[in-house]
Amino acid sequence: MAMIEVKDLSKVYGQGSAAVTALKDVSLSIQKGQFVAVMGPSGCGKSTLLHLIGGLDRPNNGSVSIDGKDISKMDDTKLTEMRRRQMGFIFQFYNLIPVLSAEENAALPLILDGMKPEQARVKAREWLDRNQMGDRLTHRPDQLSGGQQQRVAISRALVADPIIILADEPTGNLDSRASDEIAGVLRNIVTKWGHTVLMVTHDPRITAYADRIIFLKDGQIVDDTLLDGGKAENARRLKEKVEQL
Amino acid sequence: MSVRHTLLGLLAKEPRYGYELRASFMALAGGAQNWEVKPAQVYTTLNRLVEAGLITRSAPDGGGDEKVVYQIAQAGQAELEKWLGEGSLSDPQQDAFFLKLMLSLELPEVDAMRLIQTQRAALYQELHRITTLRGELDPHRELARILLMDKAVMHLEADLRWLDMIEARLDEVKKQPVPRPELRPRGRPSGK
Repeated sequence: MAMIEVKDLSKVYGQGSAAVTALKDVSLSIQKGQFVAVMGPSGCGKSTLLHLIGGLDRPNNGSVSIDGKDISKMDDTKLTEMRRRQMGFIFQFYNLIPVLSAEENAALPLILDGMKPEQARVKAREWLDRNQMGDRLTHRPDQLSGGQQQRVAISRALVADPIIILADEPTGNLDSRASDEIAGVLRNIVTKWGHTVLMVTHDPRITAYADRIIFLKDGQIVDDTLLDGGKAENARRLKEKVEQL
Repeated sequence: MSVRHTLLGLLAKEPRYGYELRASFMALAGGAQNWEVKPAQVYTTLNRLVEAGLITRSAPDGGGDEKVVYQIAQAGQAELEKWLGEGSLSDPQQDAFFLKLMLSLELPEVDAMRLIQTQRAALYQELHRITTLRGELDPHRELARILLMDKAVMHLEADLRWLDMIEARLDEVKKQPVPRPELRPRGRPSGK
């Protein structure tokens, strides 16, 4: 079973003659432990796709299933809970709390969720350590570089053990060297810890760290490529055929 | 021409055997997986350098081909200095993808957008491959090879940007006349 299963997903903004189709019948499936980049020109629908998968927006048509659960049929309460416990979000801006240390920032989602602060800090330290921030636990955001702040934000996204990580232009605010490092951190999260990452980006450099690229144009998938060779679509069809037999 | 001059450069440091020259060349050029030269190519090049008077060969008594030692000659030293004193430009204008794109303007069954997408996927696969290889190198010992891969990465990024540009302007290109040669009559048989 796929970790993320999107079927015939459509999203239209506005109505009547002002209606803009952001996504048109998009279907795709992403396996557990895959690092997928979504690319395309601005306005192609890539952010819309990420928002629909992350339950931040509702589709006009079609469905999104995460780990077998159809989130397009969930009510708001259930969806919010799903987002909070099973999805980790990483954005271009790190949105760390200025008065809290790296460790406190990373632990925050667990503390807000009712975990004892001491226990939450242990989990936060674990992820900060894995993301090479173990020696900066007590630093506040203003004492950290952009790349380091993003590592804290990534640790914060992972601390609650989400089943998928959604990243929206995670290096949009970083220079090329820091971008490479952040892409390496995301790669590590997939390779070493088996997480599933879906990332929207326009930066070819960091896309090179992914396993698969999906190209969107005018709200539709125009290409789907496995980076270690071959077409993802072909691989999927082959797998389906094998399963049928 | 670079192989020939690099062999001269290696001989400028010290006399060497042929197999040693081949191995040293590949080590300098970023490893055998990056630039493999066949032994035949090395020996052909060395023979031409000898014929041109740029290097000399000496074989100890009774030695076979493998025992031949090559040395740089004075003319070779001058040739090497001349080469080192010139700028080196690669030729990015002869581009296989560009030819496919131009053919798509002539052949209705070739879809230019498909060509662009296929090319883009291939470039991303190569970028992924180089990035993975680069990540396996040790920056404390293999920085020169990392820099060589950085060059590949930068070129691939430029190619990807170029594809975006073509994609954005493809409709305009399609409206313009396809470049054609001016053919002068060449007195062919008129068919009568």
